[in-house]
Amino acid sequence: MLLTVDMLRIRFGAFSPVDQVTLGVDRGEILGVVGESGSGKSLTATAIMGLLPRIGGQVAGGSIRFDGTDLVDLPESQMRRLRGGRIALITQNPMTSLDPMMRIGPQIDQAARLHLGLGRSAARARSLDLMADLRIPDPASVYDLFPHQLSGGMKQRIVIAMALAGDPELLIADEPTTALDVTVQAQIVQILVDLVRQRGLGLILITHDMGVVAQACDRVAVMYCGRVVELARVDALFEHPRHPYTQALIRCIPRNGMARGTMTAIPGMVPTGMTQPPGCRFNPRCARVESRCRVDIPELLVGPSGNGVACHLAEAA
Amino acid sequence: MIAFTLRRLLLLLPVFFVVSLVVFFIIHLVPGDPIDNLMRAGSTPEQRLQIAAKYGLDRSLVEQYLTWMGRLLTGDLGTSIIQGRPVSTLIAHNMPYSLQLGIAALLFSTLTGIAAGVIAASYQGTRVDDAITGFILLGSTVPSFWLGLLLILVFAVWLGWVPVSGARGWTSLILPVIAAGLGGIALVARVTRIAMIETARQDFVVLLHAKGLPPFLIQLRHVLRHAMVPVVTILGLRIGWVLGGAVTIEYVFARPGLGSLLIRALNQRDYPLVQGCLLMLAMAVIVGALIGDIVQAAMDPRQREARS
Ligand SMILES: Nc1ncnc2c1ncn2[C@@H]1O[C@H](COP(=O)(O)OP(=O)(O)OP(=O)(O)O)[C@@H](O)[C@H]1O
Ligand code: SF4
Ligand SMILES: [Mg+2]
Repeated sequence: MLLTVDMLRIRFGAFSPVDQVTLGVDRGEILGVVGESGSGKSLTATAIMGLLPRIGGQVAGGSIRFDGTDLVDLPESQMRRLRGGRIALITQNPMTSLDPMMRIGPQIDQAARLHLGLGRSAARARSLDLMADLRIPDPASVYDLFPHQLSGGMKQRIVIAMALAGDPELLIADEPTTALDVTVQAQIVQILVDLVRQRGLGLILITHDMGVVAQACDRVAVMYCGRVVELARVDALFEHPRHPYTQALIRCIPRNGMARGTMTAIPGMVPTGMTQPPGCRFNPRCARVESRCRVDIPELLVGPSGNGVACHLAEAA
Repeated sequence: MIAFTLRRLLLLLPVFFVVSLVVFFIIHLVPGDPIDNLMRAGSTPEQRLQIAAKYGLDRSLVEQYLTWMGRLLTGDLGTSIIQGRPVSTLIAHNMPYSLQLGIAALLFSTLTGIAAGVIAASYQGTRVDDAITGFILLGSTVPSFWLGLLLILVFAVWLGWVPVSGARGWTSLILPVIAAGLGGIALVARVTRIAMIETARQDFVVLLHAKGLPPFLIQLRHVLRHAMVPVVTILGLRIGWVLGGAVTIEYVFARPGLGSLLIRALNQRDYPLVQGCLLMLAMAVIVGALIGDIVQAAMDPRQREARS
C-alpha cells in the first residue's frame, strides 16, 4: 500500500470529530471516500497532508503510513518536503483556490521549483507541458493570465496542474467537481482517472456523488460521523452493501442511472458535534438496531481482501 | 485604469469648490474679527472703518467670497491681514517643517505598524500577539498631545537626551515623530493584523501550504500582499495628514509648521491666512485619499480590469 490510515483519531481540544478512520490506497488505484456532510472527509484529508495544526487540530491517535513512513510523528520540516512534493491536494472550490493577485503560471511553477529544484525557465516549461496534458488550450497565453480571467472548469484544471507540478505519488482530491457545471464535472473526473491510469498515481477521491464513485473508483471508504463504517471494492459495495448505512445510501441513488447521487433522503438527522450517541453512531437512524448497538462501538474489521464493515450484525454474518 | 484615474481627477473640481465654500464660511462663524487684533488701544471708529475697507471686510460675505475665489483661480491666496505678507509665502515658509515631521511620522508609523501587524498575525493567539494587541489598544486611545508632553517630560526634561522644543537638528524630530506616529502605528498594525488573519483563512492559502512552501514565505509573498490592499486605503487617508495631522504636536513641541501657522492665524482671526491654510490641508487630505484609491485599484488585478 502507498498510504495506510489506521484507526485515525482527530482532536480539537476535547472534541473529536474523527475517531475511527481506517483506509488505504495503492499506486494506480482510486479510493473513493463518501459520506454525508460533516462526516470528517475533509479533516481526514487535512490530517494526511499534515495541515491539522494550521486549523487548530491534532492527530490524537492511530497512524498514517505513507510509503513506509509514519507521518503522524514526522517533523514538520520533513513533512513539508512531502507536502506538494510526494503528496498533493486538490480542493473543492477552484474559484477560491488560486491566489487572485498572482498570475496563473507562477502559481503552477512554485511546487516544481521547490520540490524538483527547477529554475525559472525549466519550471515554466514543465508547467506549460502539464497544462497541455490537461488539455488547457493555448497554455502559453493562459500562463500569463490572472485567475479571474478563467472559467471554473479551467481554474480546476490549473489547480490539478498545480498539484501535479511537484510530481506527486499520491493525490488527494477533496470534492474536486462539486463547484462545477455538470458537463465540466465529467471532464474533470475523466482527467483524474486518466492521470491515475497513465502515471500510476494513487488517488483519494472525496465525493458526495455515488455516480462518480461507480464510474471512477476502484475501492470505496464509506464514512459516517467521523468513522469509516465500510470499506469495499466498488462492485462489491454496489452489489452487496453490508453496512445498513451503505445500504441506505445506495437505495437513495435515483433509479434512472447514477448521474446524481443524493445523500439526504435517509430518514433522521446526522448527529453533530458533541451530541454523538453512544455505541454505534448510526443507531438512531438504523432500521436493524439492537440493544448492544446502543452500548458497544462496532469495530471496523478488515479482512484479507481489504474489505471491512463496522456493524454488529455484519460481524455475525 | 487611465479612464478611472481621469474620472477621479475630474471629480476633484466640484470637491474643490465645496471645500472652498466650507473653508471660507467656517472662519466667519467664529466670533471676533481681525480688526480687533490690528487696532491699538484708543483707535477711533473711523480708523476701524478705514481698515475694514482696506481689506474689503466691509463688503457682504458673498462678495468677499467671490473676490477670494476669483483670486484663488489665478493662484493668488491673498495677503495676511496681520502679518502683511502673501499667504502663499507664509505657507511655503512653514510647509517644509510640517512635511519633514509628517513624512517622518508617516514612514515610521507605517513601517512599524505593518511589521507589528505581520508579527501579531503570524503569532496569532500567543503572548506576542496579546502584547501587540494590547499596545494597539493603548496606542489608539492615548491622545498624541498627552503622549507628547509625557515624552518631553521624560526624555527632554529628566533625561535631557533630546531638545525640549523647536526644530533644530534631527534630534528635535525624534519625540514629535513618536508622538505623532503612535496613533498611526496602532491603526496600521490593527488593519494589517486583521487583514492578514482573514486572508490566511482563505482556500488559496491552504493550498499554498499544501504545496509545501515555507510559512514565512507564504505570509510575506502572498498573505501580506493581500493585506496591503486595505492598508493602502488607510495610507491614502493618512498621506493628507502628513501636512496637517501633527497640528497639536507642532503646538506641543513649539515647532514651526502649517499647524502652528494655522493656530496663530485662528487666534488672530487672520481670515485670508486661515482660509489658505485650511484649503491646503483639506486638499492634501482629498488628494491623498485619491492617490490611495488609485494605488489600491492598481494593486488588484480584478479591479484593474473592472476599472479600465
Ligand atoms: N477547524 C475545525 N475545528 C473544529 N471542528 C471542526 C473543524 N473543521 C471541521 N470540524 C468538525 O468536523 C466535522 C467534520 O468536518 P469535515 O469538514 O471533515 O466534514 P466533511 O465530511 O468534509 O463534510 P463536507 O461534505 O461538508 O465537506 C464537522 O462536522 C465539524 O463539526
Ligand atoms: S451496529 Fe447496529 S445500529 Fe449500527 S449499523 Fe449495525 S445494526 Fe445498525
Ligand atoms: Mg469537506
